Formats: sequence, structure tokens, C-alpha cells
Amino acid sequence: MLSMKNISKVFKTDLVETHALRDFNLEVAEGEFVAVTGPSGSGKTTFLNIAGLLEGFTQGDYFLDGVNISNMSDNKSAAIRNEKIGFIFQGFNLIPDLNLAENVEVPLRYRGFNAKERKRRVQKALEQVGLAARMKHLPSQLSGGQQQRVAIARALAGEPRFLLADEPTGNLDSMMARQVMELLEDINKAGTTIIMVTHDAELARRAQRNIQIVDGQVCDFTMYQSGEGHQGGERASEKPHLVTESHVSLNQDKVAS
Amino acid sequence: MFFYYLDLAWRSIKKTPLMSLLMVLAISIGIGITITTLNVYQLMSENPAGERSDKLVAVQLWSQGKDAWKEFNNQLTYQDAYNLRKSDVPVRQTAMFITGLALQTEDPDFVPLLESVRVTDSDFFDMFSVPFIYGKAWDKGVDTEALYQVVINEVLNKQLFSGEDSIGKTLYLDSKPYQIVGVTKTWSPSPLYFDVTTGAFKDSAQIFVPFSLAPIEEFQSWGNNQSWKRESINNYSQRLNSEMHWIQFWAEVQDDKQRDEYAQWLKRYVEQQQLIGRFDSPEAAAQLSNVAQWLELNEVVPEDNKILVGLSALFLVVCLVNMLGLLLAKFLKRAPEIGVRRAIGASRAQIFSQHMVEVGLIGFGGGVLGLVWAWVSLSLLSSRFDLEQSLTHLDTSMWLIAPVIAIFAALVAGTYPALRICSTNPSVHLKSQ
Amino acid sequence: MLQIKPILSTLMRNKSGPILLLIQIILSVAIVANASFIISERIALMDRDSGTAEDQVFNFRLYTFDTNIDLESQIQRDIRAIRDLPGVIDASTTSMVPLSGGGWSSGYTVGSSEETAKDTEGAAIYYGDEHIVNSLGVELIEGRNFYEEEILTGSPDLATHGIVSKAFAKETWGDEPAIGQIMYAGDFGEMPIKIIGVVDKLQGAWVNSSYLDNSVILNIQLVNVFTKVLVRAEVGTLAQLKEAIPATLHKDNRNRVIEGFTLISEHRKRVYRNHELMATVLSMMVVLLLLITSLGLAGMVMFNIERRTKQIGTRRALGAKKRDIISFFLVENYIICLVGGVIGGFVAVLLGQQLMSLYSLPQLDLIYPLMTVAGLIVLTTIAVILPARKAARISPAIATRSV
Repeated sequence: MLSMKNISKVFKTDLVETHALRDFNLEVAEGEFVAVTGPSGSGKTTFLNIAGLLEGFTQGDYFLDGVNISNMSDNKSAAIRNEKIGFIFQGFNLIPDLNLAENVEVPLRYRGFNAKERKRRVQKALEQVGLAARMKHLPSQLSGGQQQRVAIARALAGEPRFLLADEPTGNLDSMMARQVMELLEDINKAGTTIIMVTHDAELARRAQRNIQIVDGQVCDFTMYQSGEGHQGGERASEKPHLVTESHVSLNQDKVAS
Repeated sequence: MFFYYLDLAWRSIKKTPLMSLLMVLAISIGIGITITTLNVYQLMSENPAGERSDKLVAVQLWSQGKDAWKEFNNQLTYQDAYNLRKSDVPVRQTAMFITGLALQTEDPDFVPLLESVRVTDSDFFDMFSVPFIYGKAWDKGVDTEALYQVVINEVLNKQLFSGEDSIGKTLYLDSKPYQIVGVTKTWSPSPLYFDVTTGAFKDSAQIFVPFSLAPIEEFQSWGNNQSWKRESINNYSQRLNSEMHWIQFWAEVQDDKQRDEYAQWLKRYVEQQQLIGRFDSPEAAAQLSNVAQWLELNEVVPEDNKILVGLSALFLVVCLVNMLGLLLAKFLKRAPEIGVRRAIGASRAQIFSQHMVEVGLIGFGGGVLGLVWAWVSLSLLSSRFDLEQSLTHLDTSMWLIAPVIAIFAALVAGTYPALRICSTNPSVHLKSQ
Repeated sequence: MLQIKPILSTLMRNKSGPILLLIQIILSVAIVANASFIISERIALMDRDSGTAEDQVFNFRLYTFDTNIDLESQIQRDIRAIRDLPGVIDASTTSMVPLSGGGWSSGYTVGSSEETAKDTEGAAIYYGDEHIVNSLGVELIEGRNFYEEEILTGSPDLATHGIVSKAFAKETWGDEPAIGQIMYAGDFGEMPIKIIGVVDKLQGAWVNSSYLDNSVILNIQLVNVFTKVLVRAEVGTLAQLKEAIPATLHKDNRNRVIEGFTLISEHRKRVYRNHELMATVLSMMVVLLLLITSLGLAGMVMFNIERRTKQIGTRRALGAKKRDIISFFLVENYIICLVGGVIGGFVAVLLGQQLMSLYSLPQLDLIYPLMTVAGLIVLTTIAVILPARKAARISPAIATRSV
């Protein structure tokens, strides 16, 4: 499904070069539920952005569903995002001026579906997250958990093969977080591959597979069979750094407090 | 997709009403000013001869002496006009000037009116495409053998004969009976290109009489009379034989070949006159101008107007820069939303189009409002300054020009902000809350 | 106290906003400076005095188409009848009416011998009788008026005595006294005219001519089927004289058209119409331009404040006073205004030169760009202070709030 080989990502500013990802290798099989953890500044978000085709990378190969992503044009990657990938964000990122149905409809618009098909899919996606009745409400009228469910509906509406979640429960209280997590698990069971970035170890443990990113590299991965605990997070052995300043944290990698 | 963008644009405009209003206002004022000045410019610079512009030529002669005027006068002397009328090169030709005569009818209670009258030849009507309702111009023979015949226009015909066919009826000019031979439709080209000597934006005369009557009836000239020579002119025959310039002269040629032929004929005329002691300047020559050249030559569009059009174009640029700033601010504020749309699969082109549609909508609003401003300012100006209606009506072409300029200008201003917003990296805005 | 350096670096970092503002100010200065220059030019033109009693003097046209009468005695009868009407101060026939846009003009020959003879500048020619000076309401400052017996009737060529305007006298004879000089209507020696008086000021008919103030009054009562009549009457009597004059003259002879009653003040309005129009449109432009520039500026400041809310809160938390916040935005504005003003001044001069080379405009006076920049500074201060006051009210607590 997803295959990253020797991916590197270097951010250059006038003063420093920062390696956000270095020789990053990862294979994710169809239908897997993968949790990605790692300390702040480790490169989690960069990984997610690259996986979601939001950012390019400096070196390496990335195949998504058998398609080579390297050097793909903006138009093509937009189309792939639209058709194959669903995004769920920590901050929900609903468009505040649009009501729920219109929010869910956004990807369908860009896909070019006709009105009837859009309506059918919006209805279905919102039913899936249990919010069909509130279709005409604005995001601001909903609780955080409900908003996140709408965001999930939006991600699902396009029937993606592949769901990317960035701290999906980070802004939710524990009860709502559990609801959202259960919803994600249901979706995964229905066949959608999910990659979830989180720093909540407990949440990560519920995924089939756990990956830890440290200093821009996959450090440790373990298969979890049945919720058996394992404390990941040991720091990788000190490898010789190619360039100095690998600890510079990227500004977009701030962890919400 | 267009309607989706339109819907989004409308929502976005509604969401920030003050800012949108500011932008629409900025562009509409720019458009309003530009359209106001452009409208007057267009009306002034119109070439009313249309496709006949190249066939109609105004004739000028450098007949003045050595130290006199340093340019062609735009009128001729009577003697030159008289001689030129004899040429058989042009298809048609006419000499003319404007006079004023007291108009009376057979009704003794009719209070005499002082009317301006064009004294001209029979070819005038065909040359300048004057449409007739009744009758036609006087016969060509009248141009040499004078008869008291007259052509009047529709308005006067209505006033005097309540609009009936008045051919054959009589009216009195300076107490002389004239027979009506033709009634023209209301016709007044703007600018009044064939006679710009006393202002190009006046109405045409309502009465036309044969030029051949001028020496008999001694019609006074109401136009410009310019002399370079100090000579005493105390009666009409002295005037006819003088070097005073007061007659306009136009000819119609079939094509460029005939125009060249006519120019040759005029050249020989100049040489011939030199032989008899006139045209003693070394610069003596003849000059032909078609209608477009004639309007240019006479600066029918005043300088002020050109300055105004230029300044208002600059003004529009200021409005656009203003709008550009506001758009940039507005769009960048929306970056997080655009980040989401990009993540969800909108391509750059789609985001760009979305914003351009919004900008275009604002431009359209500005264009429509700008038309209203232009209309308001034109009516205010025309009522305050008592301007000719022919210069201040909002030309129908502006209904198209205004929105087109407005939308185009807005799109130009919107391109940079739209490019900025669609090229920002979506991932930057997804995390930051 | 003024933190110019941090402001500068803020400006440099967010280039596009300030650059746009800069362009706007540059163009505004260029346009406003040139426009106000043209406006003041036109106002100065319109303010020129014609020298006549403009609110009292009016003219009308008299067209006699009766060929069976003695025109000369008819006209003299008419003028006398008009002088006797109530409200009328004086009346005369004339060849032209000041500021009316139509009339007579010519140059004359002066000099002491055929060899040294030269042409004078052009001058407007008023043919009239001994009443014309009073009818125009011009002030005779030297010499004398015509005597009744000096007035000749008929052809303009007969003129023998002249009264000239001070401007014409000065241009023609310099410091020499004009009274007693001779000028010739023809070549040297032909048709001599003796100067007997000088009026303080009398303009001709064409306000755009270079010799507007050059006028000559000659001792001829014109006899023509078209006659222009000048009447000076008490202010406010025109409406009633408009009725009374035709009634009186028609009683004598019906075969004429009497029309076109116009005060010189109305001629002034009409003849300067295009200048006034230009000045009006340009003033409109200037006002709107300043309005748009300041609205745009206010909008940008508002946006900047929103974007920098957190930063402003942090500054407040670190001890900045409200005044400091406002002065931050003001200084930012002044930097842009000054840079824009300097560049705008150059552009204004360039634009002025362009206009000067293309059209008949004089050189732009530097005071205009300066005044414009000064005006912009005042205006933008208001446009900045209003939204900046809002910024100053931002609570320092914002800084500690993270989301």
C-alpha cells in the first residue's frame, strides 16, 4: 500500500540545514492500522506531510498504492490526495463558514461528482459518524468530538483507501477521544488503511503496529497482537550525524500544550 | 465548478462586508472616474463619418503671403472656393459657410425668428449622408443658376407646418420668399466635423440655402473670418474679392487614386494662381485631410480631456493597488482554510480559480457601481455646467466597457494575491490552530 | 523612545503590504500634486478681472431685416430709446462683448518712420461711441473720453481716435506716455489713429488668447443689419429690460429680431466653463483619491493589527504602554509616507514634465508635491490612529493564551 525507501527531507535556511527525515524506510500493508509516535521535533509531522503528499522530499522513493510519487506534479498529487487519501487533523480544520454537509461535500466538489452523487455520499458519510441529523449546522454549533467526527466524515466521503490522522484526539477529552478512536477502528475494519500520528502511548497501543520516529528515522517497530503493553520510546543509538544541528525543531512541529 | 466558486465567493464577500465594500467602493470610484472621462473622450473623438471618412476630404490652401500665418488656415477665401467648385475631378464637392437670417412665414402673426442657416451646395446632402423625409436637395443647376430654394429639417417643419409634407410651400428669409424643396430628418453629427470653426459640438443648422445665392443676397458670415492682409472691406463685393478666409470647402473622392488626382489638380491650381500674383509665399500649397485627419488637425478632442483620461487611468491604478493590498490581506487571512482545501485534494488551479472568481465578482460589482457613479457624475456635471447633451449622455458602449474594464482590472489586481495564496504550502497551516 | 529599527525590520520582513502602500502613496502624490497644480492654475485664470462692471453690463443682438429704412438713423434712435429706459445707466453699440468668445481683433503698425515701423501685439477692438466707456463700466485713468462730435458712423476703416487698455499701452510704448501716440490700422502712414485715453483694464473676448488684456476702443458707431448693443443697467433690472427693450424697439419698427440678452458675468461663466469643469473634475479626483488612499491604509492597518494581535499582546505584557503601541503604527506609517513622498515627488515632477511636453501646461511648482505629502501625513495619521487605538486596547493576557 505505502512504501517509503530511504526518504530524506532537508530543510535549509540561511544558517542551518535541518534533517527532518533521514534514510526513512517504511512499508505499510493494505488494511493496516499504524500508529506513529515520537518525541516533539522527531519528524512525525514531516513524515505525515510527505505520506499525505502535502510536501515533497529531498531524496528517496515513495510508492503509494503502486504509484511512484517522487517528483509528481502538483496537479497529480492533488488528485491523488482527493481520491485516495483522507486527512484527519488535531484541530479538526473544518471550514467555519460552511455547514456540516457543505464541509463534507468539499472533496466531492473537487472530484467533480454531480449533485446527486454528492448528496448521496454526504448523507452516507454523515450517517456513518452519526451526525446526519445535524447536516445543516455550522461547525461552531458542535462540540469538539462532534467536530472531529464531521472531519472524519469528510475524510470518508471520498471513500479513500488510506486515512492519515494527525493527533486526531489531541484536542478532545478522554471520553470523546475514545469515541473517535472506536470510529477509526471501525473504519479500519471496513478495509481502510490508517496511519495515525499520536503522542498518546495508550492510544498508540490500540493500533496493530507501532512505529517510533526519532531524529527523523524509524527507530523501533513492534507488532502488537492483542493490546499487549510495550513501552516504546527508547532513544536510538547515537549514529554519526551527517550534518550538525539535527536537533533543531521545526516550527510547524510544535506540540500543542 | 464555476457556480461553486461563485457561491464561495459570495459567502466570502458576505463574511467580511466592510472589507468587501471597501474594495467594491475603491474599484467603483476608479471605474466611475475613468468611465466619466473616457465617455466624454469617446464622444468627442468619435468619427461620425464612419466608413465614408476616407472619401471625404477637407481642402486647405496656403494662400497667405510671405510673413503671414505659419500654418494652413482651415477655411478658404471666396475666390478660391469659387474656383475650386469648377473642378471636375472629385465626385462631389461643396463650399459652405454659416449665416443668420430672419425667418418668417406667410402667417402675419408669426414673430420673426433669427435662425442660423447653412449656405452650401446641392452635393452637401449626399456627401454628408443627410437623410430626407420629403423631397430632396435642390437641383445641381441651382448651384450655378441661383434659385430661391431651401431645405429645412424635421424640427422646423414640425414647428412651421406641423410636420406635413411641406414641399412647394414658401417661407421667408430676410423677407425674401424661398420655396421648400426638401425636408431632412433630424440630423446632427457629433462632432459637427464639416464645420469645426465655431466649436465642434454644436447642433447642425436647421435651414440650408444655395451657395449661389451668397453674392446676390449678400449673406453675412456668422463663422470665423480671418484676414492676413490689411485690406479694406466695406461692402460685399470687396469681401468676395478679398483674401479673407471664411469659406469651408469639402470634396468627395472615390478612392486614393482619385484623391491623388485631385491633389495634382490643386497643385496646378496653386501654380496657376502664383502666375497671376497670388500665393506668393514659398510655402504655398494645397492640403487634403480626410475626416479622421481633419478631426485630429483641428484638435477636436481638447487637451484637457486627454489629460483627464490619463490622470483617471492613473487614478484607477491607485484604486487597483489599494484593492491589491486589501485582497492580499484578506486572502492570506484565509490561508488555513485553503490549507485544508489543498489537503483535501484541491489543485492549485482550483484554488486560484476560486479566488479569481471572487475577485472577478468584486470587479463586476465595482463595474456596475462605477457605471452608476459615472452616470451620476455626468449628470451632475452636465447640469452644473450646462453641457451639450451630445457630450454627456452615457454612451451605450460604456455599459459593456465599464464592467469589462472593472473585471479585467480586478483580475489583474487579484492575480498576485491569488497566486500567493495558492502557492503557500498547505501543511504549514494545518497544524497551527 | 521611537523604535525605528524594529519597525524597519518588520517592514522589511513583510514586504508586500508596505510596498503596495508605498506604490499607492507614490502614485497619489504624483497625481494629487499635478492635479492640484492644474486646479490652482485654472482658478488663477478664472480669477482674472475683465475690468468691466460684469454684473451690470449686458448685451443683446439686434438684427434689422427691413431694407426700406435708413439704418444709421434707426440705430441711433434705438440707442437713445434704450438710454431713456428706467434702470439703464448707459448704452452703446459695440463690435464685441468682453469674454463672449467672438469679436474683432487686429495688430497695428507703430513707429516713427517706415523703416522702424513694427507690428504691435494683437488687440481686441471695441468700436463704439462716447458712451461705450461708461457702458462697459471701465475706468479711464489717463487722457479723456471721445467727444460726441468725434464719433463717426459706418465703416470701421474711418477710425481716427483711440482709447487703449493700460496693458496694451505698456506693451506697445513701454514707459512712454501713450496719450498722443499714433498707431496705424494699415501699413505705416495708412489710417492713423491718435491715442487720447487709457483705461485701467479691459479684456477682449477670447480668454485663452495671449493678449487678453490688450484692448483698443475706437470712435466708430458701426452701422450694420446685425448690431451688438451693450447696456449697463442697475443690477437686477435685466429681467424687466429683457421685456422692455424689445417692446420699445418693436414699437418703432417691427422688422427685426432682438435676442441674446446676456450679462458679462454669464459670458464669464460660459467662457470659463471648460476651465471650471476641468478644475471641478480634478478636485473631485483629488478628494476621492485621498479618501481611497486613507481608507485603504486604514484597512491595511486593521489587518496588520489582527495579524499581530499576539505580538501586540506580548509587547503589552512586556510593559509597552498604549501610547507605545499607537506610536509603533504611526512611525511605521510615517516611514512609508516619507519614502513614498520623496519618490512620489520625483514621479510627480516626471509626470509634470511629461504633461508639459505633451500639452500646453507650465512647469510643475515644487510646492505642490510638498503640500501633498504634508496633507497625506495629516490624513494618514487619522487613518492610522483610529484603528491603532483599537490595537492599544488589546489585553496583555492575549500573550499568555496559546491557542
